[in-house]
Amino acid sequence: MQFQRLIRTLDAFWERHGCSIVQPYDMPMGAGTFHPATFFGALGPSPARTAYVQPSRRPTDGRYGENPLRMQRYYQYQVILKPTPDNVQQLYLDSLRACGLKLEDHDIRFVQDDWESPTLGAWGLGWEVWMDSLEVTQFTYFQQVGGLDLQHISCEITYGLERITMFAQDTPDVYAMAYGPGKTYGDLHLGPEREASAYNFDHADVVLHQQLFDRYEMDAMRLLQVGMLLPAYEQMLLCSHTFNMLDARGAISQSDRPRFVLRIRTLAKQCAEQYLERQQPPANDND
Amino acid sequence: MTTTSAADLLFEIGTEELPAAYLPGLIEQLEREAIVLFDSQHLPHGAIQAFGTPRRLTVVVKNLADVQQTPGTEIRGPSKQAAFDASGKPTPALHGFLRSQGGKLEQTTLVSSSKGEYVYFLKPPATTPTKTVLPALLPQLIGKLRSPKTMRWDASGVRFARPVRWLVALYGSVPIRCAYGRLNSGTKTTIGRPQQLHTVSVKSVDAYFRTLKGGRVVLDHRARRQAIEQTVTKTAKTFRGAIAPEMISHGLLDEVTYLVEEPAPLTGDFDPAYLVLPREVLLASMAKHQRVFAIEAGGKLLPRCIAILEGKPKQPALVRKIVQRILNARLADSLLFWQNDAKVPLDRRDLSGVTFHEKLGSMTDKSKRITQLSAALADAWSLKAEERKRLERACLLAKADLVTTLVREFPTLQGTMGKHYALSAGEPAEVAHAIEEHYLPLLGRMPKTLLGSALSVLDKYDTLAGYFSVGITPSGDQDPFGLRRAAQGIVEVGWAVHRPLPLQALFTAWQKLSKTGQGKAGLAQQIQTYLLERLYTFAWPTPVPSNDCIDAVVSLYQSRPCDDLIDVMERIRTLQQLSGRPAILKAAKVIERTRNILKGAADGSGDVDPDLLKEDPERQLWDVYRGNRDRVVKLIEERSYDRATQEFADLFYEPLHLFFDKVMVNDPDAALKRNRLALMRAIHTLYTDRIADLSKLTVLQQREEHS
Repeated sequence: MQFQRLIRTLDAFWERHGCSIVQPYDMPMGAGTFHPATFFGALGPSPARTAYVQPSRRPTDGRYGENPLRMQRYYQYQVILKPTPDNVQQLYLDSLRACGLKLEDHDIRFVQDDWESPTLGAWGLGWEVWMDSLEVTQFTYFQQVGGLDLQHISCEITYGLERITMFAQDTPDVYAMAYGPGKTYGDLHLGPEREASAYNFDHADVVLHQQLFDRYEMDAMRLLQVGMLLPAYEQMLLCSHTFNMLDARGAISQSDRPRFVLRIRTLAKQCAEQYLERQQPPANDND
Repeated sequence: MTTTSAADLLFEIGTEELPAAYLPGLIEQLEREAIVLFDSQHLPHGAIQAFGTPRRLTVVVKNLADVQQTPGTEIRGPSKQAAFDASGKPTPALHGFLRSQGGKLEQTTLVSSSKGEYVYFLKPPATTPTKTVLPALLPQLIGKLRSPKTMRWDASGVRFARPVRWLVALYGSVPIRCAYGRLNSGTKTTIGRPQQLHTVSVKSVDAYFRTLKGGRVVLDHRARRQAIEQTVTKTAKTFRGAIAPEMISHGLLDEVTYLVEEPAPLTGDFDPAYLVLPREVLLASMAKHQRVFAIEAGGKLLPRCIAILEGKPKQPALVRKIVQRILNARLADSLLFWQNDAKVPLDRRDLSGVTFHEKLGSMTDKSKRITQLSAALADAWSLKAEERKRLERACLLAKADLVTTLVREFPTLQGTMGKHYALSAGEPAEVAHAIEEHYLPLLGRMPKTLLGSALSVLDKYDTLAGYFSVGITPSGDQDPFGLRRAAQGIVEVGWAVHRPLPLQALFTAWQKLSKTGQGKAGLAQQIQTYLLERLYTFAWPTPVPSNDCIDAVVSLYQSRPCDDLIDVMERIRTLQQLSGRPAILKAAKVIERTRNILKGAADGSGDVDPDLLKEDPERQLWDVYRGNRDRVVKLIEERSYDRATQEFADLFYEPLHLFFDKVMVNDPDAALKRNRLALMRAIHTLYTDRIADLSKLTVLQQREEHS
């Protein structure tokens, strides 16, 4: 199955299971969890069923297009289910079957992996799903987002789309995999991957990014004060990506790291709190 | 009373995949808590056993009696004044108490005590059918199980290591209905590989075991571990190889045991070109990324692996192809890291960005400190010029591998990679081995080389002193920086090499090098005391010293610097070896009697003035002292503590006895009194200043209690 068809298949599968299929967020982010549909969707009591593709940018994972498994930009397919269906593991396996994988032929394992995003103040318990010893999916029951305990538990399923397609096509090299009619993944992505790796590691302006981080952070704080929630959240996303860029340029020392992470987490936490305040009806003084 | 019969109970907690690391603890708790529960509930039972796989925890109670027989009890209620009003009628308080206990007024009595009269409910003995008690008890069992991390998964709010998805509860062939969270128990279990799960009804405890066996589930974790080890060994033999021993000693076999319930082996190959990688890297990559077993022949790894799959796949060849592909890709990554890392020699690695601790500086600072500190230990160990130079070199390079890519990928290879990179950069072998060994003791492994031992002690001493200097000390079971282990390591390594551990000299040298240690009064004493306390938990060779032997020696250092921790340990050993012998008892008696007379005395300072010795027994005692002191001191300096103790006892026991019989120490003449006390002090300190305070020995206390 071609890459673009696989995405369509997952869309159709999860649409049948009641998901809104939303579009990628149009800003750089390290993982699908940063998409507001997940970050805010996991907070509060309202049910949520959402699925979407999110390009994920991890500047330090770049390998100049030389590694068949690691890239600085790849695609995650993210499903968020709240409340969590009791048969969620089986639903997930069914979605792989829908993609044409013959699961009986393979070795499938749910291996403990407790996911945590220090910058988002989010963590959960779950697994990395192994297919023949390769991690193809991250499966998490969120317990905390924005540093806040969740009363209503969401399940987050994050598919590694490239890896699953490589299985479906039995291709060892991501760049050789068929993307769509007449095009490989490499045709569309290899050039940009090489250039972006070089930019991330060698050319990005460190001083500019240091200044940007400070400015984005200040702006996020200003926006939070005037109750501009989503705009503030977007500045937090920019902070996070800028931090990742600085990291790739080797401009973050081990001792600086916790401080940067804390600065981003503080913003994320305030966004989460402000979001929850809006969800709750004003307290009735007569009660 | 009902005649009772018994049946087996089965309780299965079906879950989504439990973490392998949690399972041994969960199984052990399930068994223990079940015993506690059924015992406390007056439910007679036979053997109780718990089992576990990633998807189930099962407990079986053999011969569980079919009635619960609760003995009668008396339950205290309100006081008489509160229970009855002025006219003697029961108050609402009494009614409420009876209601809560399910009792009637006729079942109460008044009992008076020192606190006044109280109403007691005489709860009668009861017999309840076990099957009606179980529904409330079984869910309690789940609630008792603890894990390092727990989660919620639905609105019921129950917490467990992973979601609980089904429960089977059978008493003989009677289904027990119980509820946990949103779940109700039933008689259906789930078996099969994760992608082919199916439910099966089980009608009895026996049927449950048959069903699991038929589904190839190896429920008993011990049997599973054995089966995996056998199958890997057998498969390895077909390649004329054996399982690499590290796979067992480093825990992969245990982990895999808890990753599968239907173990099925699969062999694979990797590109022999990767065998140029250090063995440790190959093993770490195989164990960490894919949990596959490595095979060796004649001590050398073969380019093969054995994976343990969850059940047999329909297309083993397909799985093999992918497992091999992933393994080759991982090893390619490792090879690239290895080659790139080797391009920058260890002495050019910059550790200034790696924080040791916020207040204690970077790893560069730490490396510099231990390099300079090494002189103090090198002096004590009388290292030769060449050894000193190599030790300094090893100190400087010890932490350099922390910034290599392979150590970032496999943190457990710290030290090991340092060794390999040191060797490939042409450093002397002693330096390389010291770098590797300085993280030991770990998992029962000790440094084998002298320089490795030295570096291990220096690194740990700097860690301990550094954290103590900024006020971070272990408390209770809270020890996030591993300081207890560091202190234990110092003692273990020191004892193993049996060279002096000059605590005082180390501290003086360390304090000069550290910014945080300067001007901290009492810090030296605090570190020394903490290290000496480790002697109580140290794994002594037999005969293991009793605590009073340790007390006797350690108590000398409450306010006195310790020049050599190993000498302290030697003296403790000697006391233990002497215990029960007349010599130690006589010596202890001398110490005790002199101590008692000195205890109340304000005076007694200064030297003994021979001209003031009036009585024969005191002159005799002084002659013994004067004539033998130097010999005893010499024995002690030669560390012949057993002979010194023997001499001390033989010399002083009898003359001292005579002295106390005939001579009045507290003479009205102050000068005579002072002189006699000075004699007592001279004899007392001859031993206690140098060996031990024998008055701490319990052998004395026992005698006192009897007398």
